[in-house]
Amino acid sequence: MDIRGYNMPEDLYYEENHFWIRDEGDTLVMGMDDFAQLLAGEIVYVQLPDEGKELKAGKKFAKIESGKWLGKVYAPVSGELIAVNEELETNPGLINDDCYGKGWMFKIKPSDKGELDNLMRTVEEIDTWLAEEIEKYVTE
Amino acid sequence: MEAKYDFETKYRKQILQCSRCGFCQAVCPVYGLTLRPSLNARGKMLLLKEIMDGQIDLDSEELVETLYQCTTCANCEESCPSGVNVPDIIKEARKDMVHIGSCHPAFKGMNEVLQESGNIYAEDEPEDFERKRNQKAEHVYFIGCVGSYREDEATMSVLALLDRLKIDYTLIDEVCCTGVLEDLGYPMIDKHVRTNIDLILATGAKTVITGCPYCSRTFNNKPQYAELKEKGIRVMHIIQFLKDFDFGVQTEKRVTYHDPCDLGRHCGIYDEPREIIRKIAPNFVEMPYNRENALCCGAGGGVRGAYPKNSIGMARRRLKEVEEVDADILLTECNSCLHNFSNAKLRKQRFKIYNITQFISKLLEEED
Repeated sequence: MDIRGYNMPEDLYYEENHFWIRDEGDTLVMGMDDFAQLLAGEIVYVQLPDEGKELKAGKKFAKIESGKWLGKVYAPVSGELIAVNEELETNPGLINDDCYGKGWMFKIKPSDKGELDNLMRTVEEIDTWLAEEIEKYVTE
Repeated sequence: MEAKYDFETKYRKQILQCSRCGFCQAVCPVYGLTLRPSLNARGKMLLLKEIMDGQIDLDSEELVETLYQCTTCANCEESCPSGVNVPDIIKEARKDMVHIGSCHPAFKGMNEVLQESGNIYAEDEPEDFERKRNQKAEHVYFIGCVGSYREDEATMSVLALLDRLKIDYTLIDEVCCTGVLEDLGYPMIDKHVRTNIDLILATGAKTVITGCPYCSRTFNNKPQYAELKEKGIRVMHIIQFLKDFDFGVQTEKRVTYHDPCDLGRHCGIYDEPREIIRKIAPNFVEMPYNRENALCCGAGGGVRGAYPKNSIGMARRRLKEVEEVDADILLTECNSCLHNFSNAKLRKQRFKIYNITQFISKLLEEED
């Protein structure tokens, strides 16, 4: 789904720091959205914590870097980190190439899926949010 | 015939001294990773000769990569039997390139960023490190850009260590020393130099301790910072400062040490870190390439900003040596090296990486 020129698929939740979440039942898959990967430029490093790490909603649990930018990855919900995309260790550019597919970053076992309600979901919410982000970050 | 460029005026003889032996290829981190001759000192000297002979011009896109993808680690100079000072030649050629408007966009960008911002990342808010700045004190601790914005945990550790040792120090509202710009072909930035000097003088401190060996080289060697020496202020790197302290902790772990190029080859500081490490880690082992032969981590000379994938690739090559000596811990004392190594380390590599000061702080915390 194209929103203001950015690819933002409909079936995902979005977190305000530009991470998407896909609900796969017992597992949530997380990655970086199209807006952020374009703004960051080529991703050169993704911190991949050990599986089993406890996550708290809103708390930073990893770092991600492009040539010019250091970003923090915040847990969208509380739970446990159950898997990381090991391909990103030697090919972090997958995030730029295919941020919703091969560039997925983390898999989480949520402790309370109700926390997903705190994230953005509808086209209207995402559109309003993206408009603000474009104004804030996209220089002419 | 008059030389067209300053690099020829200053270094023609040295460029012609290059006997094309290729010893430099054995030690060049960029060549080791890419196997591209033009990215190695020998190739650079061949190309610079072509420019001097008028066969090619400095204003060419391919030469941007040749002359800018270099960490200025000086391993080539160390190994050169013909006495060619490759880093100085490259820095002069870069000045000529900037003069004719030819430069890597990342470095052009870094210069532009530093005109407006006080750090190389254009970040607005430094960590406050839970400590006041600009106080009166005997020492100033100057963190540096990488320590402030990319390795804040390591910086917190060294500050915690200084507190434990009851050192009277203050942080300042520091800005980038801007020494890196001269290596890229740009002038240092007067207003930032002035800010740093004024802030240091206002503290009344007689010693500036830096967390970054590049900053300490800049403060000690660049004439723009001569006022510090004139006013009787010493500048030293944290490892020089801590050399004679006893920390009262030890570890049995197998520890190795990476000599940062800016501390080692550029400043000749090899013994002090080892003396400190031997006090805390008797089970110390050298990597195959150590001291003046240490292989560069790949971050220096701006390469981490302009060629980050290759920069991390170079770090990965160096980390293989840590595995070769089966070390549990890799120590260094440079935030740029620390950052690049941390990014490069693979998950299957179970050794840990710290600055020496960070590791000592950790051992002391574990004892508490």
